Amino acid sequence: MVEIALGTALAAIGAGVAIGFAGLGSGLGQGIAAAGSVGAVAEDNDMFARGIIFTALPETQAIYGFLIAILLLVFSGLLGGGKGLDVTAGLVAVGVGASIGFAGLGSGMGQGIAAASSVGAVVEDNDMFARGIIFTALPETQAIYGFLIAILLMVFGGILG
Amino acid sequence: MADELTTILTSFGIPNEAFLAIIVVVLLVIGAVVVIIVSRPVLDIYPYLLPNAKVRARKGRLFDEKQFSEILEAEDYKEITNYLRGFLDHAKHLDDHSIEKSLDIQLGETYHLLSKIAPSDVKKVFVVLSKKSDISNIKSLIASKEAKLTKDEAENLLIPVGSLYLTCEQLIETNTIEDIVAGLDGTEYAPILEDALSEYKENNMILPLESALDKYFLENLLSASSVPSDDNTRILHSYIGSQVDVANLKTIIRSKADGLKYDDISAHVISNGYQVKEWKLKDLMESESITSIVNGLEGTDYSPILSEALGAYNDTESVSVFEKALDEYIVNYANSLSLKNPLGIGPIIGYISKKEREIKNLKIIIRAKRENNLEMSDIQEMLV
Repeated sequence: MVEIALGTALAAIGAGVAIGFAGLGSGLGQGIAAAGSVGAVAEDNDMFARGIIFTALPETQAIYGFLIAILLLVFSGLLGGGKGLDVTAGLVAVGVGASIGFAGLGSGMGQGIAAASSVGAVVEDNDMFARGIIFTALPETQAIYGFLIAILLMVFGGILG
Repeated sequence: MADELTTILTSFGIPNEAFLAIIVVVLLVIGAVVVIIVSRPVLDIYPYLLPNAKVRARKGRLFDEKQFSEILEAEDYKEITNYLRGFLDHAKHLDDHSIEKSLDIQLGETYHLLSKIAPSDVKKVFVVLSKKSDISNIKSLIASKEAKLTKDEAENLLIPVGSLYLTCEQLIETNTIEDIVAGLDGTEYAPILEDALSEYKENNMILPLESALDKYFLENLLSASSVPSDDNTRILHSYIGSQVDVANLKTIIRSKADGLKYDDISAHVISNGYQVKEWKLKDLMESESITSIVNGLEGTDYSPILSEALGAYNDTESVSVFEKALDEYIVNYANSLSLKNPLGIGPIIGYISKKEREIKNLKIIIRAKRENNLEMSDIQEMLV
């Protein structure tokens, strides 16, 4: 069995939390948006492209979580290359994962609900598309905050560089 | 810090593996709590996403004010028919049926669609609502027999929607209203009509039969929505309850205008309403005049709108001013409810109310253009 340092194992947990919760939020959000879009497309075929755009928006949270998870795996030495992390850095890595994971969960769900509502508004009135996109983009900010804090934690917590 | 942590763990006799396990367990617990908390609103919203998108798409296809103005400007009802042919929802039945019948079919299909797509917690109400077409067909059948219409004329009155359409079509061949009631044996309407049959035989008027069907429909509608368990069912109950109240108030006001007494009215009134409860209904039915009915409604939403219409009633002595005021109240109330829960029942209520209003207004315009050739401003006055 490969020997893994305690800090590296903690970073692995952080990576799991990052993609796990961000993916959960993103998946729920996309599911909600997709359910609304399917209803809209069933009534109006022309809604397909716009439905896809709204459904794709909550994907970003999973991408942030995925990126952070990859960075944690690479810099903790789990994917080969660098040396293992000490326990302190490992605990920071758990914080990194929690930061993007939970922020992505809330952001993804919120964005999905806003997207489903916007699809309903657009199918009712075409002119609502641009405003719908703006409203749907707003819950993205929470994921961006989580992503920034995760990067800062990695930089100043001794994981990156 | 790592050394300090290791020292602390060692002093408590906790090995590294156990520490990792504790962290994993703590994260799992936090995760489970978060998932449970976030899944509740999602579970409430999820069943409404698809129906709401579908009804909002249909709501977007309803006529706006500008289109209604264009319809109003039409020379005659034939021009309106041609105008409606330009819209898929309206055009699909116009080739086979008259314009009024195609509007009735559309409304029946709307109720049927909602009964199919409505989420399970509110489905029962929409299933009852979809039976409006059956009730309308039975009433048309009875009316056609009473008026001794020919087979073709009677068939033309039936709306080809609902589970009883074929039965009603077969019953056109019957000779009497009693035969129609017998032919409906086995349906939920047979006992209702049998009970009202004696009154029909006594007075030789079909009103008791029609009234019994309307009462049965509204009672069923109210009881289907009568156990509100969450925001969606509460909003739906208030919408249905207000419709029952309005139906009761219309019956009472019209009956009082005709000089009827409590015993004559009570059989046609739904025994319990939403804002106007049983005891209040009794008071209203016992009122001596229309003014005292309006005064008796103080404390309800209906008081200000009926008080406002009272002046116009005193001038015209037509109860239609109250009926129009109540119809407008229902439209405005449905509109306010539709904004209350935009991710729940709101859009469905908004759509059904607006669709009913569209069909009602189109029928008013068509009838006015066909029969009366009224001025545009007069027709506008009649619209809800």
